[in-house]
Amino acid sequence: MAPRERILIADGAADTAQIAAFERDRRELIRRGIAVCGAVVAASSVPLLWSVRTAFAANSGDAEILEKAIHLEEIAVLAYEGLIASGVLSSELGRVAARFRDHEQQHAAALTTALTDLGGTPPARATAQDVDSVAEGLDDLKTSADAANFAIELETATVAAYLDAHRRLIDGKLLQTGASIMANEAQHLVVLRELARVDPVPSAFETGQG
Amino acid sequence: MRGDLLSRRRLLRGAGVSLASGSAVVLAACSDDTKLPQSALGPDESDEADVEILNGALDLELMAVAAYKAGAGRLKGELLQVAKLFLEHEQEHADALAAAIRDAGGKPNRARSSYSFPRMRSQEDVLRFAVELENTAIAAYIDALPKLGKGDLRATAAAIIANEAEHVAVLLGALGEEQVPAAFVVGRTA
Repeated sequence: MAPRERILIADGAADTAQIAAFERDRRELIRRGIAVCGAVVAASSVPLLWSVRTAFAANSGDAEILEKAIHLEEIAVLAYEGLIASGVLSSELGRVAARFRDHEQQHAAALTTALTDLGGTPPARATAQDVDSVAEGLDDLKTSADAANFAIELETATVAAYLDAHRRLIDGKLLQTGASIMANEAQHLVVLRELARVDPVPSAFETGQG
Repeated sequence: MRGDLLSRRRLLRGAGVSLASGSAVVLAACSDDTKLPQSALGPDESDEADVEILNGALDLELMAVAAYKAGAGRLKGELLQVAKLFLEHEQEHADALAAAIRDAGGKPNRARSSYSFPRMRSQEDVLRFAVELENTAIAAYIDALPKLGKGDLRATAAAIIANEAEHVAVLLGALGEEQVPAAFVVGRTA
C-alpha cells in the first residue's frame, strides 16, 4: 500500500459542543480506520462522513428529515459512482459497488415518493459540487482496500444517521421505511467488511458506531 | 417450526403486533396516515402498551436463542462459530428487551420450557431455518416500530433490526446465495 498522509489532531480548545463532538467523531473515525481495516480514513473524506452521520440532527419535521435523507442517499450514489470510476476496485468490489449504488438510487426514489405524498418538494439533486469532499476523498484512494474502507465508513455513518432519525420521525410508515433502508445499509456493511477481511457483524446492535 | 412461528404470530397479534408483509412496508411509505398511536396515550398507558410489544419481541428473541442452540449440534467449524455468535447476539437482544420492560414497570416474559422446531438433518437445514427465523423477527420488529411510544425504544428496535439483517446476509452467504437480495429489508412472514 502506498504511504498515506495521516491526520495529526492537536488537542485544542473546543469551545462549542458541536466542535467537541466533531473532534470526538473525527478521532473515532480515524482510530477505527486504523484499527479495523489497517488503513487511515482519508483526511478529506472526514467532513463528508461527519455531515452524513449528523444529517438529521438539526431537523424536526418528517418532511425535513425526508429531504435530508434523499440528499444523503444521492450523495451515497455519487460516492459509489466515484468509487467505480476510481479504477482501483477489484472486480469483486466493483460488482458490489455497482449493486449498492443501485440500492441507494432505489432508496432515494422511494423517499422522494414519500416526500411528494407528504406534500413536500424534493430537494435539488445532489451534484459533484455538493460532494466536493467525496471527490477529494476519492482522490486519496490508492487501492481496493482503501476503497472498501471508505465505503464501510460511508455506510456506517449512514446507519448512524438513520438510527437518529428513528428518534425523530413521527409518521409510522416512514419509520418502517427508514428501518428497511437502515437494515439494507447494514447488509451492505456485512459484504464490505467481508471484503475488507474484518468481522462482518461486530456487535449485537448495529448503531453505526463501528 | 412452522407451527411454532404461527403461534408466535398469534401471540404478537394478541399484543397488537402483526407480521409485516413483504413490499407492503416500502409501498406504505407512500401512503396515508399512520401516526404513532402512543402519542395519544398518557405516560402509564404508553408504558403498558410498550411492555406488551416488547414482551412479544422478547418471546421471539428467546425462541431464537433456543433455535440456535438446537441447530448448533448440526454445525461444524466456522459455521458453528457463527451460530454461537448469533446466539449471543439474540441473548443480548433479549437482555436489552427485558431491561426495557422492567424500566417500563413490566415483567419480562420467560423462555418456554420447550419449543417445537423442525427436524434439521444437515447444515443447510439449519442455515435455512435460521434465515426464516431471522426474517420473521425482522418483519415483526418493523411492524412493531410505529407502535412503540418512546424514541429510544424505536432506535433500539432499529438497531436490532439492522443486526438481524446482518445475520441474514451472513447466513445467505454461507448458503452460497446473494447476500443482499433487495434494496429494502422487510423480512417475511412465516
